Amino acid sequence: MSRFFVLTLSGLTQGAIYAAMALALVMIWRATKVINFAQGAMAMFTTYLALFAIDHGAPYWVAFAVAITSGLLLGAIIERVLVRPVESAPPLNVVILTLGLLLFLEALAPMAFGGQIRSFPPAFSIVGLHLGNSQVAFSPFDAFTLGAVLAVMVLLMLLFQKTNLGLRMRASAFNPEVSGLLGIRVGRMLTLGWALASLVGALAGVLIAPSLLLYPTFMDDVLVFGFTGAVIGGLDSAVGAVVGGLLMGFALSYVGGYFGSDLETVGALVILIAVLMVRPRGLFSLQRLRQV
Amino acid sequence: MLEVNDLTVAYGPVVALHGVSLTVADGSMTAVLGANGAGKTTLVRTISGLTRPRGGSVRLDGRDITRLAPDEIARLGVAHVPQGQGVLAELTVDENLRLGGLWRRDPKGQRSALAEAYDLFPPLANRRHVAAFSLSGGERQMLSVGRALVARARVLLLDEPSLGLARLVLVQIMARIRALVTERGLTVLLIEQNAKSALSVADEGIVLHLGKVVARGRAQHLLSEERLRHAYLGF
Repeated sequence: MSRFFVLTLSGLTQGAIYAAMALALVMIWRATKVINFAQGAMAMFTTYLALFAIDHGAPYWVAFAVAITSGLLLGAIIERVLVRPVESAPPLNVVILTLGLLLFLEALAPMAFGGQIRSFPPAFSIVGLHLGNSQVAFSPFDAFTLGAVLAVMVLLMLLFQKTNLGLRMRASAFNPEVSGLLGIRVGRMLTLGWALASLVGALAGVLIAPSLLLYPTFMDDVLVFGFTGAVIGGLDSAVGAVVGGLLMGFALSYVGGYFGSDLETVGALVILIAVLMVRPRGLFSLQRLRQV
Repeated sequence: MLEVNDLTVAYGPVVALHGVSLTVADGSMTAVLGANGAGKTTLVRTISGLTRPRGGSVRLDGRDITRLAPDEIARLGVAHVPQGQGVLAELTVDENLRLGGLWRRDPKGQRSALAEAYDLFPPLANRRHVAAFSLSGGERQMLSVGRALVARARVLLLDEPSLGLARLVLVQIMARIRALVTERGLTVLLIEQNAKSALSVADEGIVLHLGKVVARGRAQHLLSEERLRHAYLGF
C-alpha cells in the first residue's frame, strides 16, 4: 500500500479532531469575540474526568458521557462566572482571562488527578482494518472518531440553520443589542454557545486521548493546530473551521511522514503564513462580503 | 398606555434628557420632534431599556418598566425600531423577519404576520433568502419596520423611519402604521426630524430642545403655530 494513502488516512482522522477543536474556537469567537485559549485545557480536564469515571469502574460509554456532559457544564459555568463579568471590559482582559484559565486548569489537573502520564482506552479496536489480504492504516476507532465528529457537526449545523433556537443564537452572536430589542434572552444564548463549543472540545479530547496519552498538557498541540485551522478557515466561519482543521490534519500528516515528525509544528506555521499571505482574512471569512 | 415621567438621562457629565414627561394613549400616535442632539434617540433608547436613566420612570399600562432589561421590555410587546442599523446584516431577510415574532411563540400567527410584511414590502419578498447586508438603505429600513410589524407589538418606537427611505415608500409605511393605530389600537411613538411629515400622521406632538420639552399639543395645532415652526421645526 502506498505511503501516501496511509498518510492521507491518518491525516483524515487527525484532521477531524483538529476540525472539532477549530469549530469549538470559532463558535466561541462568533458568540463572544473571544479566542478561548483555555479550550484545550478544558478538554484535557473533561477527559481526566472521564478517566476518573473509568478508574472507578464505569464502562467506556459512561465515561464518554461524563466527558461530553462535563464539557457542556464547564463551558456554561465558565461563561457565566468568569467571562460575563469582563464582557464589557477591553478585549485584552478576556484574552488574559482565558490564558489564566489555561494555566489554572493545567495546574489543577495534576493536583486532582496526579501528574503521571496515563493511557486512555479507545471505544473500539485501534488495530487497522483488513481489506482482503492487506491491512490498512484505518481502525474501527478511527472510523468512530470520524463518525462522531461528523455527527456532532451535522447536529450543530441543523441546530443553527433549522431551528428557532439556533436562529436566536446566531442573532445574539452577530448583534446582541438588536437581539435584545427583539426579545431574545441574549445572555442565555451566549452561555449556551459556550456550553456547546466546550462540548465539541470535550469530544475532541476524549477521541484523541487514546493516541496521545493523557497528561495535563496533552491538548496544547491540538489547540495550536485547531487554532491554526480556524484561522486558515477565516475564524468566523464554521465551514471554514472544519475545512481548515482537515487541511491541518492532512498537511501535518504529510509533513510528519515525509520530513519527520519533528517538523510538524514548523509545518503548521509555514502553512498558516502561506495561507494568510494569499488570503489575509482566511479561506472562508465573511468579512470581505460584509464590507460591501 | 405608555407613560414617561420626569425622565432624566445623562452620559457622564452631559445631560441628554432633562425631566421629560409624556403620555401616549392606546391607539394613538405621538411624534417627538427636534433637531439633532435634542435627545430624541436617547428618549426611545431609555424607554426600550438600552439606556439607564438617572431619574424618573417609564410605565407601560401602569407597570413600572424603568429598570427592566431590553429583552424583557420587548417581550411585553414594545418594539423599538432603531435608527439606521437595526437589521442583523449577516442573517437573511426571512430570518430577520422571523426573529421579530419569535418571542410570541405563536407559529400560526407568525406565518400570517410574515405574509403580511411581505405583502406590504414587495421588494423584501423578492429578496427573501438574501443576506440583509446586501440590501439598500431603503430596503433595510423596510426590513426593520416589517420586523416590528411581525412582532405584533402593542407599542412601536420608531426612530427616524424616514432615514434613507424614498418619499413614496415612507408615505406607504406611515399609512400602514396609521391604519394599525386606528384598527388595532397600536400605540406609536414616532421620532422624526422631518416635523412636517411626522405631524401630518401623528395625533400629538412634542418638541424637544436640548433635552427639554419646549412645546406639546395636538399635531394639527403644532403645525399651525408659526412661531414654534420657525424656532424649532425649521419649516
